[in-house]
Amino acid sequence: MARRRFSDTLVLADGKICCGACERPLAAADRSWKEQAALTVVPVASLPGAGLGTDSRIVLRRFACSGCGSLLETEVALPEDPFLEDRIVVAG
Amino acid sequence: MDPITFSIIRHRLFRVVEEAVMTLKHVSGSAITNEGHDLMVSLYRADGSLLMGGVGFLHHLTSAAEACKAIIRRFDGQIHEGDLFLLNDPYTAALHTSDIYLIAPIHYEGRLVAWSACFVHVFDIGAMNPGGFAPDAVDIFTEGFSSPGLKLIDRGEMRQDVWDTILNMVRGPEMVALDLRSMIACNNVAGERLIALFEKYGAETVDHACRMLIEQSEQRLRERLRELPDGQWQSRQYLEVKGETYRVVLTMRKQGDELVFDFTGSSPQSKYSVNCSKWASLGGLFAPLFPLLCYDITWNEGVIRPVRMIAPEGSIVNCARPAPVSVATVGAIQSVNNAACATIGKMLAASERYAEESTAVWHANHFAIFMFGTNQRGGLSIGILTETFAGAGGARHVGDGVDIGGEIPNPISRMANVETIEATFPVRYLFRRRLKDSGGPGRHRGGTGGEMMIVAHDAPDGGIDYVVSGKGTKFPQSDGLAGGYPGALNDYVWIHADESDATAFAGSLADMKGRHEPISWGVYPLRGKDGLYVRWNGGGGLGDPLDRPAEQVVNDVTAGAISTRAAEEVYGVAFKDGVLDATLTETRRRDLKARRLQEVA
Amino acid sequence: MTKGRKYLVATDVGGTCTDTIVFASGEPVRLGKALSTPPDFATGVLDSIRSAATSMGLTLEALLAQTSLFMHGSTVVDNAVLTRDGSRTGLLTTEGFEDTVLVTRGAYGRWGGLTEDRIKHPVKTDRAPALVDAARIMGVAERVDYKGAVLRELEEAQVERAVRHLIDRHRVDAIAVSFLWSFYNPVNEQKVKALINRIAPDVYCTLSSDIAPVPGEYERSSTVVINAYAGRITRAYLSSLETLLAGTGYDGPVLVMQGYGGLLPAHEAADRAIGMLECGPAAGVIGSRALGQLLDQPDVIATDMGGTTFKVSVIQGGTIEYAREPMVDRFHYTQPKIEVVSIGSGGGSIVTLEPGSNAPRVGPRSAGSRPGPVCYGLGGDEPTLTDVFMLIGYMDPEIFLGGSMRLDRERARQVFEQKIARPLGLSVETAAIGVYRVAAAQITDLIRQITVERGLDPRDFVLHAFGGSCGMVAGMFGAELNVRRMVVPYTASVNCAFGLISADIVHEYATTALLPVPSPAEAVNRLFAPMVEKARAQLAQEGFTGDRVRLEGAVDLRYSRQVHEVTTPLRGSVPLDDAALAGVVADFEALYERKYGKGSAYREAGMEMTQFRLTARGLMERPEIEAEATGGADAAGARVGRRPIFVDAEDGMVPSDIYDFEKLRPGNVVAGPAVIHTPITTIVLQAGQRGTLDGYRNVIIDFA
Repeated sequence: MARRRFSDTLVLADGKICCGACERPLAAADRSWKEQAALTVVPVASLPGAGLGTDSRIVLRRFACSGCGSLLETEVALPEDPFLEDRIVVAG
Repeated sequence: MDPITFSIIRHRLFRVVEEAVMTLKHVSGSAITNEGHDLMVSLYRADGSLLMGGVGFLHHLTSAAEACKAIIRRFDGQIHEGDLFLLNDPYTAALHTSDIYLIAPIHYEGRLVAWSACFVHVFDIGAMNPGGFAPDAVDIFTEGFSSPGLKLIDRGEMRQDVWDTILNMVRGPEMVALDLRSMIACNNVAGERLIALFEKYGAETVDHACRMLIEQSEQRLRERLRELPDGQWQSRQYLEVKGETYRVVLTMRKQGDELVFDFTGSSPQSKYSVNCSKWASLGGLFAPLFPLLCYDITWNEGVIRPVRMIAPEGSIVNCARPAPVSVATVGAIQSVNNAACATIGKMLAASERYAEESTAVWHANHFAIFMFGTNQRGGLSIGILTETFAGAGGARHVGDGVDIGGEIPNPISRMANVETIEATFPVRYLFRRRLKDSGGPGRHRGGTGGEMMIVAHDAPDGGIDYVVSGKGTKFPQSDGLAGGYPGALNDYVWIHADESDATAFAGSLADMKGRHEPISWGVYPLRGKDGLYVRWNGGGGLGDPLDRPAEQVVNDVTAGAISTRAAEEVYGVAFKDGVLDATLTETRRRDLKARRLQEVA
Repeated sequence: MTKGRKYLVATDVGGTCTDTIVFASGEPVRLGKALSTPPDFATGVLDSIRSAATSMGLTLEALLAQTSLFMHGSTVVDNAVLTRDGSRTGLLTTEGFEDTVLVTRGAYGRWGGLTEDRIKHPVKTDRAPALVDAARIMGVAERVDYKGAVLRELEEAQVERAVRHLIDRHRVDAIAVSFLWSFYNPVNEQKVKALINRIAPDVYCTLSSDIAPVPGEYERSSTVVINAYAGRITRAYLSSLETLLAGTGYDGPVLVMQGYGGLLPAHEAADRAIGMLECGPAAGVIGSRALGQLLDQPDVIATDMGGTTFKVSVIQGGTIEYAREPMVDRFHYTQPKIEVVSIGSGGGSIVTLEPGSNAPRVGPRSAGSRPGPVCYGLGGDEPTLTDVFMLIGYMDPEIFLGGSMRLDRERARQVFEQKIARPLGLSVETAAIGVYRVAAAQITDLIRQITVERGLDPRDFVLHAFGGSCGMVAGMFGAELNVRRMVVPYTASVNCAFGLISADIVHEYATTALLPVPSPAEAVNRLFAPMVEKARAQLAQEGFTGDRVRLEGAVDLRYSRQVHEVTTPLRGSVPLDDAALAGVVADFEALYERKYGKGSAYREAGMEMTQFRLTARGLMERPEIEAEATGGADAAGARVGRRPIFVDAEDGMVPSDIYDFEKLRPGNVVAGPAVIHTPITTIVLQAGQRGTLDGYRNVIIDFA
């Protein structure tokens, strides 16, 4: 199957979601690639530019390629909230 | 119909809207209308469907369509040439009570052929707090005058009793009268110009062109949707009022040539006025959709047809009467704007062809700060701090976000000059500038937000008061895209000045001696030497910050957009004696990448 | 006028061409044309004057030796900004407000100057890179408040450090200064200038309180930055021009056009580069007003259609409107500047079909002069409006520009058929007619917008059609707008130069102060007195006294709670008495309602005077243009052929008479449908329109 975009940082190739930088396969197209990514979590309050009122629990989840370490996606979350999941339906 | 006549009629319709907008700004003459461009004018077909949407606050385009339809239902059989209707009930169609719709039927040869509708944010609507945004409101009944539809002008005759009743319920009735008059003039111009078009081309031809215009928009959006991949994209917005946290959760699904925005999972409605009604949510998702997906398509009913919304009843995005909603436009509606911008951005980024259209979220946290009180000339001043219209651009596939560069849902906003505010209100600015480290880091950096501080100056009453509302200061809301970080957060700080401190020219918040009290909701004083500090969020970043060319990071430091700390920690850039060290930068970036693999949560 | 020096010479440098016009009592008007020569525009100026001299059988030197006055307009400042060819500029601001000019009041600088099509596509919009880098902007401790009170004294030592930093570290050679509220109290800005003159006399220093003493720190700062940025280039250009002219034997004054439509002596113009922005189009409007005066037409819609744009401005009762928010290359500035509105619709505008709808669009892209329209045969392969004009019979391939250039009709036809007609499923003629209609309708919409927007009715106006292409479309939009009559002036192609020769020396002064209504006349007179004194001294120094001096006062008023200010002319001269001041207030109220619509005034909140303006004119002496005697109406002698042209009333191509302008005699009448070819343009008369050649060789078009 041809290679196509999944996002700015990920590609779909051979039915798998892969890192766009190193082509490492992360998950099947219909599965959560985030589960397979290297996740680091930083409190938003610790980032440069954080405000005075920043919630102490809010974090930035950073999903990186478990192969090459390229940052693939981020999301802002409270710890109890699930990952945001994006899917692309592959025809056929 | 031949493409030539079609092209001419379309251009003329477009000019009708432009001219009506100009009339609105001219007659109103108010700062929020003229500086903030907090207005909207659009044309609707005889059945109330959107025909030609103008550039203004875009979440009104669909709401005003619903307002037309509500008027058609309510006044069936009593709609006459020369009538003018008013509607501002959020549970019928409006966004909040202070954004009044005036809606006029347009007749040609005795037959109803179209509608024009417009809104401005009126000077006051008689809610709990002056200016229309009412953090103290507990339900819709405390948010001022609200009507699900009334006839203000009957066959060309003003209904003086109705007019007087409305003006009897608001602060600054003369200013509200002026706002209403500007909208009446605007509808008159739209009507006259549209009738001239019917006279020149005949009802049948114009009607045909209008139908074509809508069909074409529908076809073109459907075609674009077919070119984009099928799939689903999710986003989540947090907002906070007085310690309570709310979520707006969106799953956007695209299949074939249809798009569904599903807000299932969003928080139940709030007791505070940040809620929005379903018509407001619908408008909220279309506001970014028009410029992001339909930048080259006429904004009308055709664009609305392929799109569907699911919003759970009783939730913060579809609240049940009588929940208060007066803060909606800087509350849940903007959360919907942001959530939709995030998912649309991700969908565009998934397409080879449309990736260049993708963007992180722009200026995601409006603040409504209305100052009110006696001004230096002894008169009453009420007005919004227009810095909220200054905004911040999100990073885009094609480049960095624009520093203090506006927002998507209101493409032509701007802020007032400091000198304009100082002439109108008894206040003095200590500074107003870009806010360092506020633009979300990324390969493309989000545009910075800003910061400002004011103190009272020459106030006859020793100061003034202000109403603050919005979505709080606890959560970042300008989401990044593709590894970009979110833009920094808002802050509002009441500085209880140390009266013994002689500093009259503090250059920063830290310079201001005294107790710093973070605030975000309610009514506060600005008196004595006390200060109000406001900082507003930057736009989201796009891509891995470690991929940003080191020279650009250095430029950002030089230009004051980011700190050295951010350059080193987030962008992985190393300096030696204040100069870029390329070798060390390479090593540091490699280390930072490796650490992402080691520190896995 | 100096004895033996009978000529007035005016040269206007435009983007493409440099035009000259030569005037003398009792002699026909002579024209000259040459290509502009950026960045060294002075060469093109001499070429253009030489071309006029040649047509008179004179050498350049001989012409200039007999010239008493030289008037000049140039795009040198516009060009310096557009090509980013200005000084390394620094900016000093009030501390805490360093970013004012960079952040452009938010998105204003991102969407300002863009068409609505582009505004609707925000993801692809950017702010123009600033003329001054963030690192070269420094705040200094100082503060003046809204009343003009100094709250914080300037610390000279700190300013000196900042200036030295800008010069030593950033090597700036121009410094702009813009402090908050400096227009009320310029003392701190003036101290900075004195300091810079002392420690760095070679640095070009310019103050916002000198250049733009008006409220609004963003616009004022942006203005002074542009002035600093282009200051040196402008000074060098004007001095080199003076030297070149002196080298050819000209020793009279060089007068330079300003964007507000008046002339300044070159040495004064050199100190305020900003004033020269868009002075060419401004001169065009002055030319149109002068022509209007000559023809007894005080109300004129002046239109100009060249290669890339269609420009329009409005003259009402001989008065010209100033632009509200002028811009140059997407930078805002604030200066009195004649309003000229334009759209990207000219002869070179490219015709495309919109994907999906196939609706034809004209512009805003232009093929320019190279490769130019397909019919030029210079490699252009996108159909343009000029190609359309040819396909509907309006242009004659054989006699374009007096026969100096042959056009390729076949090629234009092929390309148009392939790219436009076939996709539309129409014949070439039908499709071309359609595109022509679209272009005419867009122009109609624009003119209607800028007239009705100001409460004006196009039916009360005479339309002037300038530029190479305007005469081919005016018959359409003029008819639809129902204007009183139309004029295609003899000077249609060199209108800006004509405007230069019609202009006076004009100085503009303004003082900002907030006065309530009513105020005693004495308070207003106190503000005008120093301006009047300054103006009289200035004009006297330039040789204007007595009845050659005219002073015109005006006051900006607004309703206290509303943002719109209206400049209201004083009827009498200053000093005013209380009755005269009351008259100004009454005039303001009438003007406000006319401009912003009935019921737009909120009187209950009271009124304020915000700005006091003085326009000081030194009236130039110039020869009267003499009309030739008019003869009979019969134009048969000028008829040179017959060919099918598009006639709107017939909705198709109709065989029509073709006339040669050169053979027409004053008094001749041409009945439409017809085409009149002049050496530089083409005039199309629609059915029912009658064109009369008047004694000045203007074609006056009336409707049946």
